[in-house]
Amino acid sequence: MADDKDVLRDVWFGRIPACFTLNQDEETEREAEPYYLLLPRVSYLTLVTDKVKKHFLRVMRAEDVGEMWFEYEGTPLKWHYPIGVLFDLHASNSILPWSITVHFKNFPGQDLLHCMSSSVVEAHFMSSIKEADALKHKSQVVNDMQKKDHKQLWMGLQNDKFEQFWAMNRKLMEYPTEEAGFRYIPFRIYQVNGTHTSTPLILESSQGTEKRYQVVIHGIEPLMETPLQWLSEHLSHPDNFLHICVVPAPSD
Amino acid sequence: MAQPRGACTWKPHICEQLKLRDRLQRHGFEEIVHQYNRLLEKSDLQAVLSERYQADKYEVARGHEATAAGGDAPALQQEMADMRIRHQEELTELHKKRGELAQTVIELNNLIQQKDKEIQSNEAKMQEYQQQMANLEGDCRDLNNCLQDLERANQTLKDEYDALQITFSALEEKLRKTTEDNQELVSRWMAEKAQEANRLNAENEKDSRRRQAKLQKELADAAKEPLPVDPDDDIEVLPEDSGKSGGEQPHGRALGRTPSKKSSQMPPGGLLDSISNIFGRRGANSLSASPENSEAPSGACVEVRVPSTALHVFEAHDGEVNAVRFSPGSRVLATGGMDRRVKLWEVASGRCEPKGALTGSNAGITSIEFDSAGSYLLAASNDFASRIWTLEDYRLRHTLTGHSGKVLSARFLLDNARIVSGSYDRTLKLWDLRSKVCMKTVFTGSSCNDIVCTEQCVMSGHFDKKVRFWDIRAESSVRELELLGRVTSLDLNHDRTELLTCSRDDLLKIVDLRTNAVRQTLSAEGFKCGADWTRVTFSPDGNFVAGGSADGALYVWNVLTGKVDRTLDRNHK
Repeated sequence: MADDKDVLRDVWFGRIPACFTLNQDEETEREAEPYYLLLPRVSYLTLVTDKVKKHFLRVMRAEDVGEMWFEYEGTPLKWHYPIGVLFDLHASNSILPWSITVHFKNFPGQDLLHCMSSSVVEAHFMSSIKEADALKHKSQVVNDMQKKDHKQLWMGLQNDKFEQFWAMNRKLMEYPTEEAGFRYIPFRIYQVNGTHTSTPLILESSQGTEKRYQVVIHGIEPLMETPLQWLSEHLSHPDNFLHICVVPAPSD
Repeated sequence: MAQPRGACTWKPHICEQLKLRDRLQRHGFEEIVHQYNRLLEKSDLQAVLSERYQADKYEVARGHEATAAGGDAPALQQEMADMRIRHQEELTELHKKRGELAQTVIELNNLIQQKDKEIQSNEAKMQEYQQQMANLEGDCRDLNNCLQDLERANQTLKDEYDALQITFSALEEKLRKTTEDNQELVSRWMAEKAQEANRLNAENEKDSRRRQAKLQKELADAAKEPLPVDPDDDIEVLPEDSGKSGGEQPHGRALGRTPSKKSSQMPPGGLLDSISNIFGRRGANSLSASPENSEAPSGACVEVRVPSTALHVFEAHDGEVNAVRFSPGSRVLATGGMDRRVKLWEVASGRCEPKGALTGSNAGITSIEFDSAGSYLLAASNDFASRIWTLEDYRLRHTLTGHSGKVLSARFLLDNARIVSGSYDRTLKLWDLRSKVCMKTVFTGSSCNDIVCTEQCVMSGHFDKKVRFWDIRAESSVRELELLGRVTSLDLNHDRTELLTCSRDDLLKIVDLRTNAVRQTLSAEGFKCGADWTRVTFSPDGNFVAGGSADGALYVWNVLTGKVDRTLDRNHK
């Protein structure tokens, strides 16, 4: 249906305006202006911040440069989460643009994973996909795909090519007609207090009383009766997982 | 699946939410971020440029100080001008290079476009070729199929041919065997036939020998007889006896037999046909009145007597009697009639005993003749053929066919090896007895009623009132003699010097052959020549002539006087 295709496109091309500011502690030769960037919701931080790095390296000396890492209001941002998830989790109620602080020193080894090159991100992305397919199709589909198909998935994500990605990804979204859907729905639930769980949790949220928590996927709150199968097919991230953030309801 | 009504709530909700989100988070900031980044770039560039200019200025300033000692303002200015010129040159060079590079870029773009086009056309050609190949493969497959079909058909034909070959050889074998059987059977049949022929021959020989023995015995008996019975006389004409007395029998002259033949079926008018043959002029063998020498074969006729009564009257045939003839020895009388048979009668002691019958004719007999030896009998018949029988065994020897009309008269030529026959089809045919073929056919122009033969000449009497004389060796008519009526009968006298003709004008004419003129004409009251086959005849000595009349009477003329000598009308029909 055309609606579904529109939903897929809107999900893919979702953007978050971010402002990268260099940490004051970093030693610079000149003053570094903040760098504004529209971040894609479905990608990963270390993939899309090359320009940020280049921008800030201009004002820094070479010997001071370590691995770049980001933090928001004191929380180091895990690069292996999709950007949209990070935003919904941490800054969904803040004003836009999203102010991210860039660090080059003092990499917090216990909070963040090192990411030396884009191949690390690729490995993480592919393992997510395989894990999701194991839940959905007992890994049959992803094992039937060839190496070049896996590569096409990764290249689609890396170069922001919707058609290229979805040419392959739709195979992962198919299910045999005699079953109503996937065997299991792969999803991750993130909560503000830090833990995230991927066990099936049935959230009971009472409709009538005041809501304390909000279920956010891709920055929107779907209705409770939305079928999970449909959500998994259309609102999954490129790594085929449904990332659900449970955040406190905004109190205006 | 959720119900459509249910789908209509959460899905549009999601779509709305996504649109809202985008409006908030993206559209507002997109343009700003973009412009900000551009400005950032520009400022960076400016910074770089300004740095460079500062560096230049610094150099210039240093250059200034270096030459400050000289304090040559114009030198400094000169230097500055030089620098400016150098910079401008560099600038122009760079511009030129940029133009060239742009040109190369354009050319390369064109090249690329050309190559693209070529690639496209090549691909199109490749597709075409592939199409052709597919077509050719299809054709090839079809041809292969045709070939296989043809091979199969060929094989079937070969098999059929082999089978036919086998059948053929089997049939050939059978044919060979049957031909052999046939040969064998034919040879056996021939052998049997030969045997049978031999047997028949032996029988016939025995028969003939028996008959000869009988004949000899009789002759011997007759020779012992004192009285001259001479039963073989054809004509006994007593010149002095007028024959009025009816008792000729006591004279013992068994006379001219006039056996008359009664015919049961009456032709209209009661014609007497060949009554004249009673006087059957086999004069050569007639016995003389002198009884002493009663040998059957004797020389010329010596004595004749005019017949006065009928000696024996009997029924001879079932139908009309057409021909009567005595054999040369005067022992046998042959009669032929419409019943298609020639009957042979033994003439003995005044009576005729039937001896036998010759069959073989398919229609009525018109004329009979014995050959000079008395062994063959020639009969002409209405079935367009003449036949010859041998008298010993009464077997049919030859049949001479070839006429296209009924044969009215047939005669042996004097050498007995040839026969001349005259026919209703207006031809005379000359036959050779040895080869049994017709040697000559003479077209006479008119139906031939009677024929007589001499050594050189054949005389034929015709329907057109002419008597024609034919030379045997030539083929044409030598002479013609015209009469007043249709010629019905011819007869020669013993010397063959005179010809007697009878014609329908009721006249008998005697023609002298040496002068070819009519010597004498005989007629009589009441003598009417009634039919085309009325016969007249000479007596054996040539002095008397007899002829049958239409009323059944027999007229006898004396040649010397030319008058009717006697009329016999008894028992004649």
